[in-house]
Amino acid sequence: MTSYRLASGGAANRGRSLTFTFDGRTYKGFEGDTLASALLANDQMLMARSFKYHRPRGVVTAGSAEPNALMTIGAGARSEPNARATVVELYDRLVAVSQNRWPSLKHDFGALNNVLSPFLGAGFYYKTFMWPALFWEKLYEPLIRRAAGLGKAVMQADPDRYEKSWTHCDLLVIGAGPAGLTAALAAGRAGARVILADEGFRLGGSMLSESAMVGGMPACDFATTTVEELATLPNVTLMPRTTVFGWYDDMVFGAVERVQKHVATPSPDLPMERLWRIVAKRAILAAGAEERPLVFGGNDRPGVMTAGAIRTYLNRYGVAVGGKVAVFTNGGSGYRTAADLVARGVDVTAIIDARPGSADPVPQGIRVIRGGSVTDTRGWHRIDGLIAERSGFEEVIACDALAMSGGWSPVVHLMCQRGAKPVWSDEKQAFMAPDLGGAFVAAGSAAGFDGLSDCLKDGAAKAHTVLESLGRRALPLALPRVEGEYDASFAPLWYVPGAKNKAFVDFQNDVHVGDLGLAQREGFRHIEHTKRYTTAGMATDQGKLGNINTVGIVAGMRGVSPAEIGTTTFRPFYTPVSFGALAGSARAEHAAPVRTSPLAGWARKNGAAFVEAGPWHRSAWFPREGEKTWRESVDREVLNVRANAGLCDVSTLGKIEIFGAGAAEFLDRIYCNGFLKLPVGKARYGLMLREDGIVFDDGTTSRLSENHYVMTTTTAYAAEVLSHMEFAAQTFWPELDVRFVSVTDQWAQMSLAGPKARIILGRVVQDDISDAAFPFLAAKEVTLRGGLRARLFRISFSGELAYELAVPAGFGEAVADAIMDAGHEDGICAYGVEALNVLRVEKGHVTHSELEGRTTADDVGLGRMMAMQKPDFIGKRLSTRFGLTAADRLQLVGLKPVEADKEIRAGAHLLKDQAKPSLANDQGFVSSACFSPTLGHFIALAMLKSGRERFGEKIIVWDGLRGTEVPAEVCPPVFVDPENTKLHL
Amino acid sequence: MSINLLHRHVLEDYISGFETDPNPNHVAVSRRPVIFSVLAHRGQETAVAEALGSAHGVVLRFCSPSEWLLVSRTAGPATVAGILSDIAGASFADQSDGRVLMTISGPSVRNILGKCVAVDLHPEVFAEDYSANMLFCHVAANVARSGPDTFEIIVPRSLAGSAFEELLEMGREHALTRGFSD
Repeated sequence: MTSYRLASGGAANRGRSLTFTFDGRTYKGFEGDTLASALLANDQMLMARSFKYHRPRGVVTAGSAEPNALMTIGAGARSEPNARATVVELYDRLVAVSQNRWPSLKHDFGALNNVLSPFLGAGFYYKTFMWPALFWEKLYEPLIRRAAGLGKAVMQADPDRYEKSWTHCDLLVIGAGPAGLTAALAAGRAGARVILADEGFRLGGSMLSESAMVGGMPACDFATTTVEELATLPNVTLMPRTTVFGWYDDMVFGAVERVQKHVATPSPDLPMERLWRIVAKRAILAAGAEERPLVFGGNDRPGVMTAGAIRTYLNRYGVAVGGKVAVFTNGGSGYRTAADLVARGVDVTAIIDARPGSADPVPQGIRVIRGGSVTDTRGWHRIDGLIAERSGFEEVIACDALAMSGGWSPVVHLMCQRGAKPVWSDEKQAFMAPDLGGAFVAAGSAAGFDGLSDCLKDGAAKAHTVLESLGRRALPLALPRVEGEYDASFAPLWYVPGAKNKAFVDFQNDVHVGDLGLAQREGFRHIEHTKRYTTAGMATDQGKLGNINTVGIVAGMRGVSPAEIGTTTFRPFYTPVSFGALAGSARAEHAAPVRTSPLAGWARKNGAAFVEAGPWHRSAWFPREGEKTWRESVDREVLNVRANAGLCDVSTLGKIEIFGAGAAEFLDRIYCNGFLKLPVGKARYGLMLREDGIVFDDGTTSRLSENHYVMTTTTAYAAEVLSHMEFAAQTFWPELDVRFVSVTDQWAQMSLAGPKARIILGRVVQDDISDAAFPFLAAKEVTLRGGLRARLFRISFSGELAYELAVPAGFGEAVADAIMDAGHEDGICAYGVEALNVLRVEKGHVTHSELEGRTTADDVGLGRMMAMQKPDFIGKRLSTRFGLTAADRLQLVGLKPVEADKEIRAGAHLLKDQAKPSLANDQGFVSSACFSPTLGHFIALAMLKSGRERFGEKIIVWDGLRGTEVPAEVCPPVFVDPENTKLHL
Repeated sequence: MSINLLHRHVLEDYISGFETDPNPNHVAVSRRPVIFSVLAHRGQETAVAEALGSAHGVVLRFCSPSEWLLVSRTAGPATVAGILSDIAGASFADQSDGRVLMTISGPSVRNILGKCVAVDLHPEVFAEDYSANMLFCHVAANVARSGPDTFEIIVPRSLAGSAFEELLEMGREHALTRGFSD
């Protein structure tokens, strides 16, 4: 006989047949089936090969703890490896393929490992592949990885969309079984905001699998009725197909919703999966209990399953897992499975009960072997018999399936993810949920209750307690009458002695009892060490089925209570979560937000090439026809700025508006140079230090009126400077009346530089901007021709006559266009940040290449700016430390190659002439370098030991990366117009 | 010589060519709202808040205990600046070009915004006329509830394109449409 679909019964929709394939063969199932139930209905018991020994494996469970039935679902880019057939919801045209076998599932070459298994015990590769060490990475590990394994990820890009979402509730109920349903109902009727999440595609949990009657109807129908009522409550959100996988700080739960995993043709408008972050005031864990396998010889043969799983296939899916089923149990669950099978006309050959006696009702005519055990099983691709043993007498019993029940372990995983350990209960012979103080409690069988009526009652009771703690009152829930309950209690049996074959503890990782013993003998006795040494409890199932047996067996080996052994650490994720769901929409162009300058449109029109600068996309250069390299464009832009004029987008600089009667004093303390006497209508360059005396940032600040300033910062440090100022204002000097707000986004700002800048600007600005009326460092509000109000600053980064014009962002593009038109006849060009950089290096201005977190004002030649006569400013005290004033510090210098055609690159190190490259001989480094079209050769800014004393010295610029040595002459850092004549034109 | 300067909304490229009849779930972008940052000086917080609260034709968006955004769709910038100049203890800066105002409404609005912000927008928690600064699709924004199913979102101009695209993506399953409101 075989496994088959019963003529009637179960909750699968027999009216809707679905076609699917497994390893290329076509099968039929029903809507409401899992892949596993549909395969069993088609007598496909063999579903996988084991991880290490390639042993044939069937399905063991009917839920998310499944260790064996891992398959690859879907085709092409949508292939998903290691899906558990027990939780894959069947859909039409589903494609499933078995894994870790060659050439086929039935005939797997890798099964040779099983023959070699005496040599492949725990830790064998640590011992075997030790020498030579080099071979591990190159040879051994790839070989082992190929031989042992799970499914393979595909290399194509995932075609589907994913999302992340937040949601909030008073009460999160995890698990929609009996306790979860009554908890949600009690809280929902009381008006609380409730979320009921369950990993299954149908809410109801164990009630969908049990044959008891609840409230006068089958348990399954009662669950459906309750779910229907919950669905009508506007304050209750039902979340089927949603696994709550993690519990995080502040009562945030992580959950993943499989939105379209069960759909044959996914909609492009919906995500495939959605990652939820659920913020719950309270949570109830009603995740149920996991049935333990028994650890006996040959317990991994296909057809050996947990008793509960067999009931689920029978009652929920209408599938008999065999025609002749034997039962091996140490508690009531085995008897219930036998009774349900008999009731549906399935032959039960024997119940082997490890206990000498029990009060469990025996179905009529079924043989019970009390005080017996199973020592081995027979069959290869499927069990065909077992050896039962009692008091030394062995007997072969024929069967095509074996139900095993080793008792129950509450599923307390989530409650232990933040450090609390589960607590051993001698009474329940199980690890129980820790007491977490009321915000997160377990209910139902997760809290150790066995019976259906107790679980229904406990769910409602826990909901009442939780509601009370939230200040809500709930009416008592009328609990339904339960008929046909069974006693699920059991006697502990960790290991069945007398095994004549491997007795597996962890099916997924092929860990058997012998491995655990070896780990103890070899000193890996702590349970965490035992886990790592044997791999028990690793990989995708994380030991959901085997861990508690591992603990019990190790406790038995050591002769102590499982309480003394304890469990390994529980961590998120409860079950595997795809990377797609974790990434959500944050991929490709959505990976990070992009900041767009108000002049981006203007730059595009002028043909700009863009460069990413943090989140900003800045115009880097503006290639023209015939220019083959970026350097050609940049050289042209630089020369044109020096000869005529150029327009550059500087909108990305941080802009901070400063108000208050204390603003002048505040600026005087935040900058190292003086700001108290800055007149209205003037701009000043300012240098900010950190508290430790190192330069923090630079920029200009302009006084627009008596108590109103506008500051610019560098692009990179805009946010940091604002935080720094808020911190100083709120904590250092709360007595100063000063307030700030960032206006970076309000203004489009452009720099117009070059000897013809004034002529061109005069055509756009109404006000008098002659040198007399608007001298160097003037800063005023002006009116453009046409009436637009703007801010104009006469400041220069290039060393040329230059202005920065700020206009409201929405007008930026139009104003830039107008300036380009106005300057056309004078040869204006657009220039980008590359030319801007060349212009400033030629002029010897520093940026964050030089102000890089290690340099003092004096290092970069700005020591005279430090107004030490001021009573205080940030950085004043610590800037006088010996280390910061030492004479041999690196100082800013300029470099020119001795041979004019030689190139100097940033990052190269400096050596004395004739010195060999070494750390001891290191004299400094090049911070900025470029080709200067103005001078016709490369120039550089560099940090050189005692640099300012060494002008004229010949040094070596050593570029270890490219293997070049270029002799260069040390010179002052200002290459163009050191007398500043151009600024005052 | 007079120059005719055209004002351009940063989201024009994201909306032009997509004008359709709005669906029940719709995001409308205001073309030229007036938005000012208002700062209360130390000790003046309550007085400034009261004075702002009684101003006509403007709504107040809370940013921090001494900072607000003042929004108007009817008054001009000069009028609003005038109102603000008369309030003692307040400083202000025009941000009309630096901020983008969008109004999202419809039956699925909370589902859509749940994918954009981490804050609980349930009416019991975030009632009508509530507003706060929060992270919106990776961007610092001010979100306000202006009706049972209507929220106003103010984002910085330079990040508006990114935030708007992300919002549209998050609204896809609810057939969210987009357009200018005026």
